[in-house]
Amino acid sequence: MSYILEGLKQGAALLLPPSREILQIVALSLAVSGAATLLASLAAIPASLFLALKEFRGKRLLVGLVNTAMSVPAVLIGLLVYGLVTRRGPLGSLQLLFTPGAMILAQALLAFPLITALALAALKGIARDARDLALSLGANRRQLAAAVIRQGRFAFLTALIAGFSRVIGETGMTLMVGGNIKGQTRVLTTAISLETMKGNFEIGIALGIVLLLAALAVNVALQGLQGK
Amino acid sequence: MHIRVENLGQTAGKKTILRGIDLEFDPGMVHAILGPNGAGKSTLLRLLGLLDKPDQGEIYYDGQRLGALPRALRTRLRRRCGFVFQSPLLLAGTVEDNLRFGPRLRGLKVGDPEIRHVLAQTGLSGRRDQEARLLSGGEKQRLQLARVMLLDPEVYLLDEPTANLDPLSMKNIESAIARLSREGKTIILATHNLIQARLLAGRVVFLKEGMLVQAGAAAEVLSRPLSLDIAEFSAAENIIPGILALREGRMVLDCGRLAIEVVGGHVGGRAAAVIRPEDILVSESPIASSARNSFRGPILAVADLGAVMALSVDCSGFVFTVFVTRISCAQMNLAAGTHVSLTFKATSVHLLPVD
Repeated sequence: MSYILEGLKQGAALLLPPSREILQIVALSLAVSGAATLLASLAAIPASLFLALKEFRGKRLLVGLVNTAMSVPAVLIGLLVYGLVTRRGPLGSLQLLFTPGAMILAQALLAFPLITALALAALKGIARDARDLALSLGANRRQLAAAVIRQGRFAFLTALIAGFSRVIGETGMTLMVGGNIKGQTRVLTTAISLETMKGNFEIGIALGIVLLLAALAVNVALQGLQGK
Repeated sequence: MHIRVENLGQTAGKKTILRGIDLEFDPGMVHAILGPNGAGKSTLLRLLGLLDKPDQGEIYYDGQRLGALPRALRTRLRRRCGFVFQSPLLLAGTVEDNLRFGPRLRGLKVGDPEIRHVLAQTGLSGRRDQEARLLSGGEKQRLQLARVMLLDPEVYLLDEPTANLDPLSMKNIESAIARLSREGKTIILATHNLIQARLLAGRVVFLKEGMLVQAGAAAEVLSRPLSLDIAEFSAAENIIPGILALREGRMVLDCGRLAIEVVGGHVGGRAAAVIRPEDILVSESPIASSARNSFRGPILAVADLGAVMALSVDCSGFVFTVFVTRISCAQMNLAAGTHVSLTFKATSVHLLPVD
């Protein structure tokens, strides 16, 4: 027990003030996961709107697929992205392997089904009413989309928070495609994993505290937006 | 605007919601769509207002076929219709925000006088700056109507606009509907409320299980229903089943303890007699009349309907509902227990075949 307490104390001390290296790791974590969430939502928001508003053959199957995709293990997505971006893979010429680009791609793929499914679930109750209201008052296609997005903004925000929380905490896949290269692709989770295995328990704890704080800060900020 | 639908049909999955509907709607007229729950009333309105696309059939606006039109044109035509939903759909924001949403979508400028006008017409003048979602049910429904009136569409599609409303809101909406129809609007009103249909509608459409049962002039459909469904729904209060027989050279409906003289029908056929309460004469003692149908019994209950009093009278086990004016009720000293005579003509009996 004292070992853990000692680690907590030392870890906290490491953060006062944080070193440049830690700051860099935090910044990269936020940047990669933020970009991945954004990229995923660019596809997930239209997808959830489409699924919420359109009636078509095979819709249930598609929704089922999205829900299933949520439970695909991250490491399999890592495997897929690795295969895509490795030098001999179809995207090999982009030289993305062990770069933040590969990490963003993998995290976006991980977040996409989650954001789509959560947004869809939340939209179910409101999308049809928002559509009816806007259409009946004379909205054209563009105004209709804007009205539904406006009515569904809380739904999207909630889904984004969940998506971001999921990817910023992901380790194995990020390690596979990012490589945990110091100063280049080292993010909070991969650093915690590495330092702990190296026996640097206090550094792991320090980074863990930062990870929690970072996740908390983003959540608070987004929930603040939601309150408005 | 004149609207015509041809062989209109809608399905949801494997379930048929509407089938083979042919109808016309004219300007300056209130068309009441009647029918039990699940009859397809709302679906029909949604198709007419271009909120959904039909799976089958065609809709024509002023002779123009809609199915073939590109999206932009559909939007333009949709803007000629106004929709009032059964459960109010309101934006978060004030009453005024809700009113201004429609004009904003259409790129129209709306002045203060217009806003005040529609608020006054719907009795919402004091509510302009209130949060719309905090209004009472009746006020929300009136706001929906005001929002549509501000856009001044040619067609009003009203989906049970007065269901579960307080009498004041109901009256307000009903008088607005009457006024709009006088202004030449095409009004299509789905309702459960038969009194409302009688009060407002020039034409009545009766739907059941997605199919058209009867359509026509309101007086015709409501007093001469083609089927027992309509009679029962339209609360034709006095429906008495029996078997047709010939007695002393006259056709009667033998209802067991009661035989009602009727006109028409085939001997031996099963039928139901429908007698509208307003066609039955109430008197203290039997009256000399050419009308052969005269029955006597005690009053079971007296209900005050405002303009008239409704009496339930027990004649040999059949309870008739009849109307008398407030004055005659007082003059004849009618109360529960009083014995009265009911008299009606054979021609007032509407016969419905029973399968």
